[in-house]
Amino acid sequence: MTSVTHSKAKMTATATTRVLGVLAIAATALMAVLGLLISPADVIQGEAVRMLYIHVPSIWIAYGAFVLTSVSSILFLRGRKRREDRGRHYDRLAGSAAEVGVVFTGITLVTGMLWGKVTWGTYWQWDARLTTTVLLFVTYLGYLALRRLPADPIVRSRRAAVMALISFINVPIVHYSVDWWRTLHQKASLSVGRRPEITGEMYWTLLYSTLAVTIVAAWLIIHRYRVIRLEELRDEEALAALISSRLGKDDGSN
Amino acid sequence: MSEVATVVTGWGITIFVIATYSIWVVSRGKAIGQELGIGEMEQVDPRKDAGATTDL
Amino acid sequence: MLAETLLVARKDLRVEWRAKIALGQVAPLALLILVVLAFALDANSSLLELGAGGLYWVAVLYGGTLLIQRSFDVETDDGNMDAFRMSAIGAPSLFLGKSLALFVQIGLLELVLGSGIAVLYNVRVADWWLLLVAAAAGTVAFSVCGVLWGAMSAGLRVRATLLPLLLVPVLVPILLAGSRAFETALGVRADAGWTWASLMLVIAAVHTAIGFGAFGFLLEEG
Repeated sequence: MTSVTHSKAKMTATATTRVLGVLAIAATALMAVLGLLISPADVIQGEAVRMLYIHVPSIWIAYGAFVLTSVSSILFLRGRKRREDRGRHYDRLAGSAAEVGVVFTGITLVTGMLWGKVTWGTYWQWDARLTTTVLLFVTYLGYLALRRLPADPIVRSRRAAVMALISFINVPIVHYSVDWWRTLHQKASLSVGRRPEITGEMYWTLLYSTLAVTIVAAWLIIHRYRVIRLEELRDEEALAALISSRLGKDDGSN
Repeated sequence: MSEVATVVTGWGITIFVIATYSIWVVSRGKAIGQELGIGEMEQVDPRKDAGATTDL
Repeated sequence: MLAETLLVARKDLRVEWRAKIALGQVAPLALLILVVLAFALDANSSLLELGAGGLYWVAVLYGGTLLIQRSFDVETDDGNMDAFRMSAIGAPSLFLGKSLALFVQIGLLELVLGSGIAVLYNVRVADWWLLLVAAAAGTVAFSVCGVLWGAMSAGLRVRATLLPLLLVPVLVPILLAGSRAFETALGVRADAGWTWASLMLVIAAVHTAIGFGAFGFLLEEG
């Protein structure tokens, strides 16, 4: 019986994701060349502007990943009774996206602090976006902690899904309350519908960097998803082995 | 720290973190896959595989 | 539903009254926190007066977390959650009832803390209405979030550390707004105290609505 589930399982690498992986490495290399060598230094920020090619795409990807987590959580809660797999596909997607989101939020914070040190002269300022980002980081660390606890997998997934939704609703509340509290940060560097403040080669480099980071994140999410799937299989198999050993019916399949 | 040194540090930390995380994900997948007796890049035939799985 | 809500609340309060943990242990502990915070600021009376609003909410957070923990420990220890699931009491009533019980307990804790702050930190109230509205809104938000996250971490072995980790990030806006509103109410800052208090009311309403809708998911078994 266990071998039937095996045949459905995929390894962490398939031909498609191998291609994606190579693409991710190539895209990152090109991003480094563009961001570090070809694009010019900024008139005001100097060389420090090169940090933004990581910093800005990272936070976008992190937000994107958290949106994915929330959407998947909704689909999990909706599909948990109807779907054959009890919605676990969406649960895995939510978990892997959240983990990748946390990694990129961490990168955003580190690169942002370094950038702030050379530009503002300090690692940390209590402004709205910094404070919101660090709270976002801690919130989703808590989400990941909840997901890792030993408990019934379905119950745990459901609690995690509820938490993901509440956390997501809470993000704007946190943001606006902190924003009210104090705002010093420069305006958003690039926004839809408005003329970007950075132009030319810097603009294209930033746009390209976003694409490259997206590819890397996609690769990571897909692989993490498969590892979660394998972890579940392993746990199920361990449980099945335990049950059959308790029943004393060793039919040779374990 | 100079601007260049800061930029190098930032990029360095980022690449290190992403690389470490990727390696961790892939190796964890491989480790569990081996534990379960799933061959890489191939689908296991359920009939052939019967009885060949690792004892947990 | 109202009857059910009151039934649940009364049950919780009666259990708490018998155990006397809230009154006998949590409230004195919260008072100790006030003393320790005074140590941290070197008992500098002007600093304490300025920070009294924020320090109050820090102490509420600390004591409130302990009360929330207890509110769910008494349920899971005796398998009460299963009993609830089987009883006819709906998830919304259960949510409101437990929130109401927590509201009363945290409210009492705040009374103790408020008196403690008034005496120890030498503060004078400039706007009683603002103080009461902000405290009430903050307490509602604490209670409903507490019930929600308490249910989330109920029955897990590591809940003592998990609950604060999950709870604090959602309560951040309340702590921030509460501190600012109290500063105005205590007359140390002529700021937009009422704006902060209304923000607290909105947050309390949002969390109550979320809890109302989401609590059922957390109770479901298997």
